[in-house]
This record gives sequence, structure tokens and C-alpha cells, in this order.
Amino acid sequence: MRQPSVSARRVAAASVTLVVAAGVAACGPKDTGAKAAGGDSQPHKDGTLSVLNAQPQQDFDPARLYTSGGGNVPSLVFRTLTTRNRENGSAGAKVVPDLATDTGRPSKDATVWTYTLKKGLTYEDGTPITSADIKYGIERSFAPELSGGAPYLRDWLVGAADYQGPYKDKKGLDAIETPDSRTIVFHLNKPEGEFPYLATQTQFTPVPKSKDTGTKYEEHPISSGPYKVVKNENDGEHLVLERNPHWSAATDSERKAYPDTIDVRSGLDSSVINQRLSASQGADAAAVTTDTNLGPAELAKVTGDKDLAARVGTGHFGYTNYIAFNPTVKPFDNVKVRQAISYAIDRSSVVNAAGGSALAEPATTFLPDQKSFGYTPYDLFPAGRAGDPAKARELLKQAGYGKGLTVTLTHSNSKDFETSPEIATAIQDALKKAGITVKLQGLEDNDYSDKIHTVKTEPGFFLAHWGADWPSGGPFLAPIFDGRQIVEDGANFNTGLLNDKSVNNEIDAINKLTDLDAAAERWGALDKKIGEQALTVPLFHPVYKRLYGKDVKNIVISDWTGVLDISQVAVK
Amino acid sequence: MSQALAASPAAGTDTPVPAASGARQFWRRLRTQRAALVAAAVVALLVLVALAAPLLTALEGQDPTTYHPSLVDSARGGVPIGSLGGASADHWLGVEPQTGRDLFARLVYGARVSLGVALAATVIQVAIGVAVGVGSALGNRWVDQLLSRATDIIVALPLMVMSLALLAIVPSSFPRPVLVTLVIGLIAWGNIAKIVRAQTLALKDLDYVSAARLSGWGVLRIARRELLPGLAAPVITYAALLVPTNISAEAALSFLGVGVKPPTPSWGQMLTAADVWYQAAPQYLLLPAGALFVTVLALTVLGDGVRTALDPRAASRLRIGTGRKNEGADSATDKPVHGHKDTGPNSDDRGATA
Repeated sequence: MRQPSVSARRVAAASVTLVVAAGVAACGPKDTGAKAAGGDSQPHKDGTLSVLNAQPQQDFDPARLYTSGGGNVPSLVFRTLTTRNRENGSAGAKVVPDLATDTGRPSKDATVWTYTLKKGLTYEDGTPITSADIKYGIERSFAPELSGGAPYLRDWLVGAADYQGPYKDKKGLDAIETPDSRTIVFHLNKPEGEFPYLATQTQFTPVPKSKDTGTKYEEHPISSGPYKVVKNENDGEHLVLERNPHWSAATDSERKAYPDTIDVRSGLDSSVINQRLSASQGADAAAVTTDTNLGPAELAKVTGDKDLAARVGTGHFGYTNYIAFNPTVKPFDNVKVRQAISYAIDRSSVVNAAGGSALAEPATTFLPDQKSFGYTPYDLFPAGRAGDPAKARELLKQAGYGKGLTVTLTHSNSKDFETSPEIATAIQDALKKAGITVKLQGLEDNDYSDKIHTVKTEPGFFLAHWGADWPSGGPFLAPIFDGRQIVEDGANFNTGLLNDKSVNNEIDAINKLTDLDAAAERWGALDKKIGEQALTVPLFHPVYKRLYGKDVKNIVISDWTGVLDISQVAVK
Repeated sequence: MSQALAASPAAGTDTPVPAASGARQFWRRLRTQRAALVAAAVVALLVLVALAAPLLTALEGQDPTTYHPSLVDSARGGVPIGSLGGASADHWLGVEPQTGRDLFARLVYGARVSLGVALAATVIQVAIGVAVGVGSALGNRWVDQLLSRATDIIVALPLMVMSLALLAIVPSSFPRPVLVTLVIGLIAWGNIAKIVRAQTLALKDLDYVSAARLSGWGVLRIARRELLPGLAAPVITYAALLVPTNISAEAALSFLGVGVKPPTPSWGQMLTAADVWYQAAPQYLLLPAGALFVTVLALTVLGDGVRTALDPRAASRLRIGTGRKNEGADSATDKPVHGHKDTGPNSDDRGATA
């Protein structure tokens, strides 16, 4: 919640590098995606699936992983209390039971959550999985040496704020009860209707205490899923997963596990990944990538190639790129100035800078345009496709800047096509038409991140983005707009420094809801209400386009992750 | 270049170098090298284009920063619509992928940065190099040791690494073209200082310099009136070859993302943005690459020609269109001041031990 999930950030980082390539690619018919591929022949169990990645899987300890919905490769080895459903598109944004028999039974005010484990669950060595192992797995994620996961557990569990993990504190967390070997109860310090979403994260993986080797556990984590780790070389650069004979499809309706072996190679240049996937020769015919997108030049290159175009998967991940204002900095304290900039934005040139309409969709809402987030369409400051400079000038005049205005836009110098100079210059050009002179301040990545997330140094006008930890409005709106989450010393994500009582109260009220559909609707309405303050200018939602090999079948790309789900693919 | 030589008669009638005839000789020799003349014409044209950038783009009716989203195919990653990268009567060389900015305008404005930075950096390098070289040759042992070791250190510094480090720590509010100029100018003066020192050491023991010293002239006056004219040949030659090196350095720094900042175009920056497009929109990469190639080639050929004309005996082995058959006759009439071997940019400081 404190930052875009690691998977999201990795995706972003990967999409950077891939643009540096060109040699390759695929495209053509716009949305081939899921349906086009599976095709005629049925998927069969057999063969080896190759995964070609840029980023090595350096963390493979369930305590340290920061994933959305349990991750892609990790989810093959780690089962969790609940998991994401593996369906195409918007149908694939639901939380479903995994080790548990249901998605959790809340107390009346959603502060106590009870789960019951399915019968007959075992680890890769045949020993039974117990609720105590899940409690232990969560507890060890509090150990400082195993940090890295999302901060929710520490925030939500009663008495967990200063807990240092089971190595230092043998007594464990009282907030988690295990009355018997199949039951586990969580006590939260406030109502959290979205607890089932949290239970998809790898911290909810059972870890047998007797097999725990601390920081070395990631070299051979004990599998509860369809595959076990047989090789982990160079700190996650090369992983080999083979079937876990003790996993049973009877207890797991989500993971298909068609291939016998999964071979993950990483540390590859993204251009190389896309070259190999497009050539699709030898073992690469059965290859996919879980972190490398096609870049604009690659898309352009292969427009005409039907064969390649048929092998491009298209996905949407809950993610928004936007302009952020700091209303304590002049002239952005004036809502009319913020509105003027909202009107002046030329989203078509911003979308082009981000890679064109195939890789980015114009955004007018802060929430991603997906149902599970409670997406409620609104366009409060309609700029059309090319901006409305006349309206912007009018507002500037009312604000007392009739003679023009000079502002500084802070951006990063990364090459991610998100907060990078390409996007900044597109905005600069659009605002020029409205009489706003934009000076660009490009900062190195770390410097940029520090500056925008520190209240004292936060610039007035900068590029930002936010990704979802799970497909709901909660982790999207609360960290950015909940006034109680303003962090004076440390990483602050409420960059608009909004502390509005009615907003805070509504967030609390929605968190009490355990009907996730009803909650989604309220998040959507809240998004629109916050949008009226013009604290951000939503720019675009990214679209992921990824190649896969010729022999890869049964492509499933859910809106939860936006990327091909390797628990579903078959290579025979 | 002719100015420096032509200036020497005014510098003192007692100089032993008959500079006027030297200049004439220089032109005569340069004229015989067709390649150098063509190169000179190309360089002149490039400078003209850079100076007239606003005029040329006005003629075209474009500017280098305005976006034209309608001219690129958004669904195909933003590739320019139309053949030849969207080249048309409105956009002579097509438009940039993703943005639709006019490539002709960006190219000619880019020439300003590339040439401007390179020339200004060369001036800085020559100024520092000559000052340090002459100071070191004429100073006492301590001064010489100090300046020579400083030069050694500067020569040993890897330009790219140092530039990257310097550019990274300077606040982004500092004007970038000036900063890039300063960084290149202040880091890469070592070789020219060494050449000047060697040449000065050789010159200062010649009779006419001794005569000047015996007649009671101060060091500064001797340096200015007696030594500098003699240094003109190697310095001009080396400077002519420094310009293309500096152009490449600017391009490399911009390519690495620490050069001039967007939206200011420079050739190096265009290359960075274009490298992924080499298949989908080849002209986007070929235009700045071709411009860089032509510029560096022209300046190098011209530099080589200047060297040959100033000092045929020290001419490089390249001999691009140097009209070798005239060489014997030319060198026979050479004045002693041109006769030193250590005048090329590739010479080491052999003179230092003299």
C-alpha cells in the first residue's frame, strides 16, 4: 500500500528496457490476446515451458515477496489461503479459495476473519499442511531479515506494529489463533472488508517450522503448489521447477499445471527476449515471458506480420500514470490553476509518448478503468483528445494569470515512458498552447523518488504513477488520499496532502464492507468525488503486449495481473 | 586559421618567420588538396545551416518542438504515417515517431548544439592547452614539474567517465549546453598542452629567441612575440582535429542521457531516441547518424589538409588528397620554424627531454 507493488514496478522497469530493443516483435490485429492463441488443439500435460525474463527472481522466500495475487512464478510453488481466479480479462479479478475452503468468514464488523483449511493438503514431502504453518509463515515475514513484503499485516493485525518475528519472539503473534490444525483466526485492529485480497499474498503460504532455514529458506522453499524448486542458480537467475507429486488437482481448482517442467532463465536483455520469442525456434517455441513487454518500435515493426500478431497477448493491470500537484506550493494552491492544467492536457500526444494507443489508454479517472476497482467513468475537466487550451486560458485569467504562467514540471530521467522526459515534453508542448510555460526538472531515479515522497521536498507539479496491490479501490485510493496516511517524516504517498474528513470517513465506512461488489461501487463514487479537487490529472493506463512462443497454448491473461498466467499455459 | 598566421607580422617585425609568405604558402598548399577544399565547403555549409536554423525552419514552416499527434500512427506504436517517415512538402525530412515533431527542424537545430558545443569546447581546450604548455616550457623546474604532472593526470582521466560524473553532480538548473561545453573543454586539454610544451622547448633555444632574451625581453613578451607564431601551425592543426572529437564526445554524452536536456534537440540525443526505431522508421536513425558522419569526416579531412598545408613533412599518413607529388618542392622552401617533427597531434613529448 505504501508503494506500487514490486510486480508492478518490475513490469514498469521491464517495459523500459524492452523499448531499447527493436529487432523484433509482433502485433497487427489489435487485440489478439487470449482467445487467438489456444486455438484448435486441446492442452495436454507434458513438456518443458521456458520462461525468458529480464529480472531475476532474487527473492524466492514467501516472506520476502511483494506480489499482487501471489505472483506468477511464485504462485506455482506457494499456495495461499486465498488466491486470484485465473480467468481472462475482467472476469479474472476475483478472489477465490486456495488452501482454505472459502474466502474467509468475517465477524460482523469485519475485524475477525476465520478460515478453514481443505482436507488432504500436503507439502512436497507428503507431510500435512496445518494452520499452525500458515501462522508461522506470517510471523516470520515480520522478521527484519526477511523483510520486503507488503506492510498491511503489520498495520492490520492487533499488536503487530512492533513485532520482530518468531526468531526473536518465540511466543508469536496473539492476533493469529489456530484452535485446531485446520482452523486459523485473524484479529484485526480495524474493520477490513478486503482481507480476502490480502490473503492471496505469499505471506499466507504455509512454512513448516522444522524446515525453516531463515534467510536460506529461499534456496529450497517447501512447496505446497504443483511444482517444487529443484534448481536455483545465481540468486534466482536460473530456476528449474518440476512436478510436485504430492500436489493434487482435487484440492486446487485454479492451477492447471500442464507442463512437466518449468525452466526460468532471467538476466536477459529485453530485446533478446523479444527476438527469441518472435523467432520461436527450438526450445523457445515453448517459451513465454512474465516481465517483458513489447515496445512501440517493436509493435510498429511487426504490424503486418500475421504470424507474430497472433502470438501477442494483451493485458491490463490496474495502474494509472498521472500528474500530481502539491497544493501547498504556489500557484498550485489555486484550484483554478490545477483545473486549467487539467483542461490543457493533450492526451493523444501523451498516449503517443507512452507508446501509442496499443500500449496506453487515455485516463480521466484516477481509478483504473476496470470493474473490480469500481471504475466509475467521469471526465470532470473535459479536455477531449487534444486538450482545450481556450478553456484553460479562461481559467488562468480568473486565477489572475491572464498574462501567462511559468511552472516547473518535475520528472525522472529514467527511460520508463511513465515519468520520463518523453512524457514531460509532451505535457510541456500541450501547456504551451494554453499560455503556460513549462520548465522541465529531470531528476535521477532515486533522487526523484525521494523528493516526491518527502513532504518537505515535494515539488508542486510532477509526474507520478500508482499500481494496485490487488484489484480494488482500497489500495488504490487510501494511500494517496487518506489524510491519516500523510507521513511527515518518511515515505509519504498522499502527495496531494489531502486531509478531508468526509473522505477519511468514507474510506473507513467502505473498509467495513465485506461485500466486495458493494465496496467497489463506493470506491468508484469516492474516486469521482476526490477528482473534483483536481489534485491529480490522470494521464493514461498502460496496456501490456507480450509475445509468446509458437507451441504455447491456453493463454489466460487476467485483469488482476495483466500478464500471461503461467499456471494455465500448456506446451503440448 | 589564416588570421592567426596573418597576425604574426603585426606581432613584431623582428620575427624571423616571414608570416605573410607563410600564409600565402599555406593557401597555395591547401588549394592543391581537393578533398580538403570539399571538406572546407561542407564545414562552411554546416556552420551556415546551424546559424540559419531559425530561418530555414521558418522557410519550412515548422519548429523543432511542436507535437503533431495526427502525423503518427498511434495504434502502431506511433510510427510516422506515410512513406519515407512521413516526408512531405510540410515536413521535408519526415517526422519523429511517437511525437510527430519535425525532423528537419530538429536536425538543423541539433546542428547548433553539436557544432556550437564542439567549437566552444575546442576554444577552451586550446586556450588552456597553450597556456599550460607554454608556462610549463618557460617556467622553472618546479613550475614545469607541477604543470607537466597536472597534464599527465588530465591525459590519464577517461573523458567519458569524468564527464558522466561531473554532469551527474551539477544541479539541473545549470544551462546544459554551457555545462557540456565546459566539461569537455576542461577535461580534454592534456594532449594539446603536451604538444605545445614540446614545441616551445624546441623553439626557445633557437637563435632568434635567444636574441630576444639577450636583448632583455620579459618572458611574456617573448612568449607572445616569438613563440606563439611558431606554435600556430601545430596548434591550429591539432585544434582542427579536436573539433570532430568534441562533436563525438557531445553526441556520446547526449546519447548517454547527460547531454543537453529535452526538448532541445541535439544529434546525440536524436540518436539515443532513434536507436530502437532502426527497423520501423529507419530515416529517424539515419538522419542524425548521417549528419554526424558527414560532419566528423569533413572536419577530419579538413584538419588533415590544414596540417599538410602548414607542415607537409609532419603530414599524416592518411594523405587524403594531399597531392603528394608537390610535397618535395614545398618542404624544400619550408622555413625552419615549420621544420620540427613533433608538431602533429600524435606526437609525444619527446621535445621535453631536449
